[in-house]
Amino acid sequence: MSQVKSIAILGAITAAVAANATAALADGDQEKCFGVALAGQNDCAAGPGTTCAGTSTVDYQGNAWKLVPAGTCETMELTDGGGMMHKGSLEATKMNLPAS
Amino acid sequence: MTLDLTTSAQDMTVSQSRFRNALLDPETPAPDGLVTPEGTHAEKRFGVYRNNVSHSLASALVDGFPVLTKLLGEAFFRQMALVYLRIHPPASQLIMHYGAAMPTFLVGFPGTVHLKYLPDVARLELALRRAYHAGDAEAIAPADLTQLDQATLMDTRLVLAPAVETLTSEFPALSIWEFNMQDGPTPTMQAETILISRRGYDPVAQRLPLGGAVFVNALKKGHAFGTALGLATSQVADFDLTATLSALIAGHGIIKIEKG
Repeated sequence: MSQVKSIAILGAITAAVAANATAALADGDQEKCFGVALAGQNDCAAGPGTTCAGTSTVDYQGNAWKLVPAGTCETMELTDGGGMMHKGSLEATKMNLPAS
Repeated sequence: MTLDLTTSAQDMTVSQSRFRNALLDPETPAPDGLVTPEGTHAEKRFGVYRNNVSHSLASALVDGFPVLTKLLGEAFFRQMALVYLRIHPPASQLIMHYGAAMPTFLVGFPGTVHLKYLPDVARLELALRRAYHAGDAEAIAPADLTQLDQATLMDTRLVLAPAVETLTSEFPALSIWEFNMQDGPTPTMQAETILISRRGYDPVAQRLPLGGAVFVNALKKGHAFGTALGLATSQVADFDLTATLSALIAGHGIIKIEKG
C-alpha cells in the first residue's frame, strides 16, 4: 500500500475520532433515558391483555379490508426509481385475506 | 400432547392443538371438554380468554412498531394486527421479539401493498428492538484507535458490539422514522444505508455512506480492518471511511481492538 494511501487511512481515523470528541462528553446524559427507551418492550404483553377487560363477544371481524391507512403515510409522497408514487391511498382497497 | 383440565366433578382432557386452533380462529367454538367449575361448557370464559390473547398480542405489535402504527393509524394497525397474529402467532415465548415476520407480511397484505417503503420501516423498528435487547458491551475509548500504526491497523480486528447491524433500504427508511418519531423533515425519495447500534441503553440509528454496510458487515464477520476496507473500496471507489468510522464510534459500536 502506498504511503499516500496509508496517510489517508490514518487521517480518516483521526478525523473520525476527533468528530466524536465532543459527543463522548454528552454520554453523561444517557442514564436518565433508559427507563423510557422503547417503552413496553419488556412487559408489553403484561398490560391490557391481563386485565380481563375483554368480553366473551368475538372481537375478531377480520375487517381490516374495510379500513384504509389513516396515519402519516398520507403525508409522504415517495416515489421509487421508476417514478411510481407510493403515496397512501384513500380509496378502499379490495382484498382477499390470506388463508390462515 | 394433552392438557389436563381437572374439574371438581370429573377429569377431562382437551387436546392442545384443538385448544390452540380455537384460540386463533374466532369462528371455531370453544373445544369440547372445556368446562366451568359448575360443569357447564366454558364457551364464554374461553371467549374472554381468546379476546385477551388477541388484544395483548395486538398491543405488543402496537408497542413494538410505533412508526408503523403512526404511518397507518392505530385503528387500521390494530385491525391488521388481528390478521397478522392469526397467520403468525408467537413462535417464541420472548414476546419482546414478536412481529419478526411483519416485513414480509406487509408485502402481501392488500391494505398495505401499495406502501412499498413500509417493510423497510418495519425492518428498522425490528432492528432497533433487537439492539435494545442485545447483550451489553462497553465501547472502546475512541483515542485508542489512533494508537495503531498503519501496518498494525490493517491486520487488526475491530470487534463490534452485539447490538450493531446494518440495514440497506432503497427507501429513506430512517428519514421516515425520524419524521414520525423526532419531528424530522418530510422525507424525500432516496436510498438509505443505516447503522443500528446502542448507546448505553438507547438504540440509535444513523446514516452510513455508500459502502458503509459492506465495511461494517465485514468487521462483524470478524474480518481484519484491511480486509473490510478492501471490500468496501472495491465496491465504492470513494468509500468514506471517516464517516463510517465516525458513526461506529458515535454509536458505541466498537468494543475491542484485537491486534492480528
